[in-house]
Amino acid sequence: MTHARTRPRWVPPDEVRARLGEPEAMTEAKILDRIDEHFHRFIAHSPFLALATADAAGRADCSPRGDYPGFVKVLDEHTLAIPDRPGNKIADSFRNLAENDGVGLLFFIPGLRETLRVNGRAYPTDEPDVLARMQIEGKNAELALVVEVAEAYFHCGRALIRSRLWDPASQSLATEMPSTGEVAVAQLGLDIDPKLIEHGLELGYRNLY
Amino acid sequence: MQQTMLDRVDRVADDVVSLVLRATTGPLAPWEPGAHLDLALPNRLTRQYSLCGDPADRESYRIAVRHEPLSRGGSEYVHLFLRPARTLEVSLPRNHFPLVPAPEYLFLAGGIGITPILPMFRSAVEAGIPATLVYAGKSAATMPFATDLRAAYGDRVHLFTTRDQRRPDFAALSTGLNPRALIYCCGPAPMLAAAETAFPAERIHTERFRPATRTFAPNTPFEATCARSGRTIQVAPNESLLDALHHAGHAIPSGCREGICGSCELTVLAGTPDHRDDIGAPNDRIYACVSRARSPRLILDL
Repeated sequence: MTHARTRPRWVPPDEVRARLGEPEAMTEAKILDRIDEHFHRFIAHSPFLALATADAAGRADCSPRGDYPGFVKVLDEHTLAIPDRPGNKIADSFRNLAENDGVGLLFFIPGLRETLRVNGRAYPTDEPDVLARMQIEGKNAELALVVEVAEAYFHCGRALIRSRLWDPASQSLATEMPSTGEVAVAQLGLDIDPKLIEHGLELGYRNLY
Repeated sequence: MQQTMLDRVDRVADDVVSLVLRATTGPLAPWEPGAHLDLALPNRLTRQYSLCGDPADRESYRIAVRHEPLSRGGSEYVHLFLRPARTLEVSLPRNHFPLVPAPEYLFLAGGIGITPILPMFRSAVEAGIPATLVYAGKSAATMPFATDLRAAYGDRVHLFTTRDQRRPDFAALSTGLNPRALIYCCGPAPMLAAAETAFPAERIHTERFRPATRTFAPNTPFEATCARSGRTIQVAPNESLLDALHHAGHAIPSGCREGICGSCELTVLAGTPDHRDDIGAPNDRIYACVSRARSPRLILDL
């Protein structure tokens, strides 16, 4: 890898459109402004989503959220609630949403090629009736993110087909990565046994709620 | 676990569906009135439901499920997403609410609490034992099986609709009751509390759907020794015995994790359990999801 910064050529927006062509009418028509029964069923079976936010200056962030399938609750056909579980406490998403409430969600169902995209606006809540629905192993979520749905649509499966994301053989890719402890020791220049970091991480992973 | 196939889904009241689960590999395990089982849902949640069908039917189980407005994903899944022909795993039936022989019974049911009471009441009547059923709900439309019960058992069934300000008078029922009669009550927490006040503790049996609100002494660490393997496991104040055993590699079955279903029952060989369940464990048993230890160490039959 070179250390000089690379800057590939920029393509202006009209040229991007010219190269991609126009979307088919069907593609636009399938965008709904609400969670219908099919999208509800998708969310009820999805254990994982990526949550995209940006701050007022447009600095963007994307973070993973996951739990048992259906962990995101459909409060009504225009409103979702995502539990906030203990994480790294950086709270990038909440910090961004305080400045800019726009949010993009991408839901996955393991084994399914199509994904569900939901865009809208979001804010944090501590409404007891919402948090009660997220209780797990006797523990409540401290906060939930309410998403007011503006757009919802299925995204076609090409990216997941090309990526072979759900192909069990793809799991061998994980063995090509060094351990988290080894990466941390190298990146932070630490003089400790990587196994100590991994042990600490595993202890943390035991308390998921 | 037992394999079943969802045969029928029928609406039996506002917000209540009845599910018939049919055997797919030979007869289903037998059960006694009052029993419940764990239903493993496709969304990885496990929920406990009382059996409300006919114990003599070894080909199918019947349960009834109310759609809870604050569903955490169990009853909502059953109502919105389960469809007939799906295969579903269920546990063997367990019974923490067995019908103890008595010369007379009074059954008290509130709302969906009718489910364990229904087969108990039927079996008492069929055995020729005097039995009365007092069944309360918000309105007739919210009370599963109410019309059928009234049609089949006539004035042995007393229906009360609280929306019309009609409530059973437990104090009056208690006064007129045969002193050897046993009382069985299943319903929402306020009904259980009222029944426990009105009837003698040694004659009333209750079952709850949600854990009672209680406070316990702060958690303290303790040791759990597994007698068969000889291993000793430290249980930290911020983890349950169940989780500590799981982390140590003991795959203990678990269900509600709230001390009401009984899936994680273990045998205690020595030591004093700090029982925090709502089932009423004897001292030689412990429900590992909620209960802890009063002694520094418990010795478990594991």
